[in-house]
Amino acid sequence: MENLLELKNIELIYHSPKSETHAIKNLNFTVKSGEFISIVGPSGSGKTTLLSMIAGILKPTQGQITISGIKVSSVTDQVGYMFQRDNLFEWINIWNNVTLGLKFKNRNTNENREYAKNLLEKYGLKDFISHYPSELSGGMRQRVALIRTLTTRPQLLLLDEPFSALDYQTRLAVQDDVYSIIKNENKTAILVTHDIGEAIALSNRIIILSSRPGSVKKIINLKFDPCLTPFERRKDHKFNNYFNEIWDLLDT
Amino acid sequence: MTKKYEQFSAAHKKYLKGLKIKTFSIHLTRVLLLLTLLAIWELCAAVNLVDPFISSSPSRIVKQIGTLFESGALVYHSWVTLYETLLAFLISTIVGTIIAIILYSLPFFRKVLEPYLIVLNSLPKIALGPLIIVWMGTGTKSIVAMGFLICIVITTISMLNGYLSIPKEKILLLKTMGASRLQILSHLIIPASIGEFISVLKINVGMSWVGTVMGEYLTSKAGLGYLIVYGGQVFKLDLVMASIVVLCILAGLMYAVVAILENIVNKKHSG
Repeated sequence: MENLLELKNIELIYHSPKSETHAIKNLNFTVKSGEFISIVGPSGSGKTTLLSMIAGILKPTQGQITISGIKVSSVTDQVGYMFQRDNLFEWINIWNNVTLGLKFKNRNTNENREYAKNLLEKYGLKDFISHYPSELSGGMRQRVALIRTLTTRPQLLLLDEPFSALDYQTRLAVQDDVYSIIKNENKTAILVTHDIGEAIALSNRIIILSSRPGSVKKIINLKFDPCLTPFERRKDHKFNNYFNEIWDLLDT
Repeated sequence: MTKKYEQFSAAHKKYLKGLKIKTFSIHLTRVLLLLTLLAIWELCAAVNLVDPFISSSPSRIVKQIGTLFESGALVYHSWVTLYETLLAFLISTIVGTIIAIILYSLPFFRKVLEPYLIVLNSLPKIALGPLIIVWMGTGTKSIVAMGFLICIVITTISMLNGYLSIPKEKILLLKTMGASRLQILSHLIIPASIGEFISVLKINVGMSWVGTVMGEYLTSKAGLGYLIVYGGQVFKLDLVMASIVVLCILAGLMYAVVAILENIVNKKHSG
C-alpha cells in the first residue's frame, strides 16, 4: 500500500507574549491508505495541534506534511475533520446539515447530492432527512456529523475525540457504527483520543506521543482478526495485553 | 411515549388540573392587582384624600382619552410618536447590525474602536440633544436621530458579542470544508445569532420609545411626548396621565409583535 500521509521532522512552537511553547518536536510518521491510526498521549502532547496541521489550518514551524505526495499548505479537499461535539447547525434540517460542505468550493453537483443521499440511506438516516438536529439522539447526531464529513469525499478523516461527549453505552455503539462506515467507504482515518480502550478497539496502529514537546514515543501494531468489530475486540484476550502495554508507556 | 388525555392516570389528571388552576390564579391576581390599585386611586381622588387636580384619577384619564379621541388628537399624536419610534427602531437595528458585522469581520478595527464604543455606550445620549437640534433642526429628523442614537450603540455591542460568542469549533468546521469568510458569515455567524438579534429587538423596543419621547421633550410640535410636556406646563395632569397610558399601550403592543416574531423563530429553530 502506498503512503497517503507523511509527516517529516515536524516541529511546532507556540508564541505568546509571556512564553514560547515547544509543542511538537522532531515528529515523524506515515499513514498508509486505508489504515485506521490512533494517536494517544498525555495532555499537552500536541495531539489536536497535530490534526490541525494535517488539516492545513495550522502551519508547522519546521518540517513538511504531504498527502498523496502533495505538500499541505492550506485547507485541502482531501481531508475531512470530525470534532468532539457534532457541531450540527440547529437551525437547518439534517439534509442541509449533511450537505453543508457541498455549498462551498463549487461542490454542489447532482452527483455529490446523490452521493450524500445514498450515504444517508445506507446508514439508516433516510427517514430523518427533514428532521432537525434537536430531534435526534446523541449517537445519531454523531453519525450525521460523520456523514457530513464524508459528503465532500475526503480521503483522510481526522477524528478529534469524536466519541468523548457521548455516554458510555452510546459511545460503544457509535464506535461500532463509525468504524464500519469508515471501513465500508474505504477511508483512511486518524483518531485522536484519551481513551486507550477506544484506540485499541478501532485501530490498526497506535501512535504514542511523548509529553511536551510531543514526538513519537512508540508505534504499536495491533494484530486482531480483521473480522472483529470494535466491540468484539474488547472481548479478545489480546485487548488487555495491549491495554497494559500502552498504559505503561503513557505512565512513564 | 406520550399518551392522550383519556389515557392519563387519575393522578396525572389531578396534576394537570392543579397546573391549570395555578396558571389561572396568576392571571387572575394580575388583573385584580391592577383593578385594586385603580379602585384605590379613584376612591382617594373621589373623597379628596388626594387632590385629583394634581394626581388625576382613572375616570378622569378615561374621560380625557375619550375627548382626545373625539377631536382626532389621540390618533394624530399617537401616530406621530409611533412613526418616529418605528423609524428610529428600524434604522438603528439595521445600521447597528451592519456595523457589528463589519467590526466582527475586521478584528483590527474592532480592537482599535473598542474604547470608543465603551465611551459611547456610557455617554448619556441626551447630552447630545442640543447638538442634534442645531445640526438637524427642530423636527422629526432630530427626534428620530435621538431615538437612533440611544439604540445604535447597544445594538452594535450586543450583536457583536453575539457573533463573538459563536463556538470556534463551528467556524473551524466550515474552514476545513473550505468555506470563504463571506460564506462563514452567511452560513454560520448570521443564522446562529438570530436569538441574539431577537433579544436586541426586545431591548430596542424599549430604547426607541425612550429615545423618541426624549427627543419630543427637547423639540416637537406634536406627539405623545409633546402632549406630556405641554400638559405638565399648563398643569393639565389628566392630559399627562392619558398620554402615559397611551404610551404604555403602544409600547406593549410593539413588544407583543416582537414576542410573536420570537415565537415564530423559536419554532423554526427547534424544528
